[in-house]
Amino acid sequence: MDYRDVANDKDYALLSYHHIPGVHNIEVFERAGGYETMKKCFEMDPEAIKEEVKLSGLRGRGGAGFATGVKWGFFTKDRNAKKYLLCNADESEPGTFKDRYLVERNPHILIEGMIISAWALGTQKGYIYIRGEFYQQAMILERALKEAYAKGYLGKNIMGKGFDFDLYVHRGAGAYICGEETALISSLEGQKGQPKLKPPFPAIKGYRGLPTMVNNVESLAAVPWIMRHGAAAYKQWGTEKSPGTKLFSVSGDVNKPGVIEVPLSTSLREIIEVHCGGMRNGNKLKAVIPGGSSAPVLSAEDSYVVRMDYEDVAAKGSMLGSGAIIVIDETRNMGDILKYTLEFYHHESCGQCTPCREGTGWLEAIFKRKEAGKSNKADIALLDKTAASMRGQTICALADAAAMPTQGMIKVFREELEQYVTAAPKK
Amino acid sequence: MKTATNVPSQEKFEFSADTLALYKEYLTRYDDIDSALLPTLHLAQEQNGWLSDAVVAYLSELMGIAEIRIKEVISFYDMLYDHPVGRNIVHVCTNITCSMFGGRELYQDLLKHFNTDYLVPTYDGRISIQKMECLGACEIAPCMRLNNEYVGNVDLQTAISKIEELP
Repeated sequence: MDYRDVANDKDYALLSYHHIPGVHNIEVFERAGGYETMKKCFEMDPEAIKEEVKLSGLRGRGGAGFATGVKWGFFTKDRNAKKYLLCNADESEPGTFKDRYLVERNPHILIEGMIISAWALGTQKGYIYIRGEFYQQAMILERALKEAYAKGYLGKNIMGKGFDFDLYVHRGAGAYICGEETALISSLEGQKGQPKLKPPFPAIKGYRGLPTMVNNVESLAAVPWIMRHGAAAYKQWGTEKSPGTKLFSVSGDVNKPGVIEVPLSTSLREIIEVHCGGMRNGNKLKAVIPGGSSAPVLSAEDSYVVRMDYEDVAAKGSMLGSGAIIVIDETRNMGDILKYTLEFYHHESCGQCTPCREGTGWLEAIFKRKEAGKSNKADIALLDKTAASMRGQTICALADAAAMPTQGMIKVFREELEQYVTAAPKK
Repeated sequence: MKTATNVPSQEKFEFSADTLALYKEYLTRYDDIDSALLPTLHLAQEQNGWLSDAVVAYLSELMGIAEIRIKEVISFYDMLYDHPVGRNIVHVCTNITCSMFGGRELYQDLLKHFNTDYLVPTYDGRISIQKMECLGACEIAPCMRLNNEYVGNVDLQTAISKIEELP
């Protein structure tokens, strides 16, 4: 057998199969060790699987970072109760493309993770909710699901355990908010993708009013590794509070943008300089958005010392979020970056809650006023005040997701923003 | 941001035999018919190009879902069109990373080159251009989608020649 055909479990948990050509085919995936863990898990008590995932300390990789095992703990243990497992593949946080990369090269690692999770949780049906733009990736998943059905890993009486689990792909149609788990549920129910009030949490009352577990692609895809090598081995990586590896989507002014998998708590300096080939054109680093567009920006100084784990990024006043790192060099104007961000949130507000529907519009309006040559320095203070008033006032976190980077940007780059809004309009 | 001026009327719509078979297969995937609405709208749009009143009326009858409920859903999503669009859809990303690498200029220049506006079909009905939220391919910024295919690291000339290749 070609040595390349073996999963590299030593260095990676999520991309361990990515170097293998054709691993999206189930035969290649299985030859490299795929689905072995799933078979072993069917010999295990479901509660023991939940316990192992809890012990691993795996934190939800969609952005919130809530412990996956703890979330699973809220789920009913009644195996006969009708319930659902949903995979959140709506990946829309600007800067994030890790789930796309994971799924398009290796759809089976996600499917294996979902089957193990379904067995642990006792869910009879699951859906992979994938954003509408990822049509090709949805087709890759459809094909992989067909293969898994043909092998008897999905459907009725899987592995002769009397356990039924059906899994389908469900395509979205272009709406950022559908990545919020209750909005995702509304969308799956054939409604507008508007978030719902929590509690009740989906684990108690979710899709169609039934217990529903919603997990991110990357979280579910980490489950096979954890079950294969154990929680203790997973914790060899990262810190006590941020164990394991993480996929980072790196884009912007670096030489080699792309998806990397590194242990949590890897320094951002190492990510930029070693894994991404350093700064583009040899330019100086100005700032980094460390966790997707909702995360407050880090100054160059903080970017060079921060370690990419949940605690340290938070200690620097930002958040790890989805692990989307946008690197910004000295040639960029932070006013432009904030403008792009705020236009986006205004467009994507679902319109349910006034502070968000109106607030995101007001934030963007400052930039429109600038373009009309009518803004002044005081507008930055107004921007700050408006953002502050939006926080914690709404059903979901979209308003906060617009307000946080706004206030963060003002904190670090106030002077530059003041100059930006008072500069003469272009053209 | 949808343009709804001069929406023509369409007399009649029904699923082709192939689409109807796919629709019936979709129904088996869900525990209620409402959940099948979004995939069904995708099917209808694939067949008809856009979701006219005739499509809505047909689906309402077929699925037993009120027309207003269907229209509400169509209006919510950027990829569902309640007005005619070109045979090919061009999505241009204008989010942070893509804008850093000229995504916005690319979008504006494409509109100018093809003498059109947001989603308005070109005179030959061949394309509609739509600026989009982050397309999730920031490593190849600026990126666009030509129908369902991602194209990255594009400049205006490459973008135009790729679009010219579309049927």
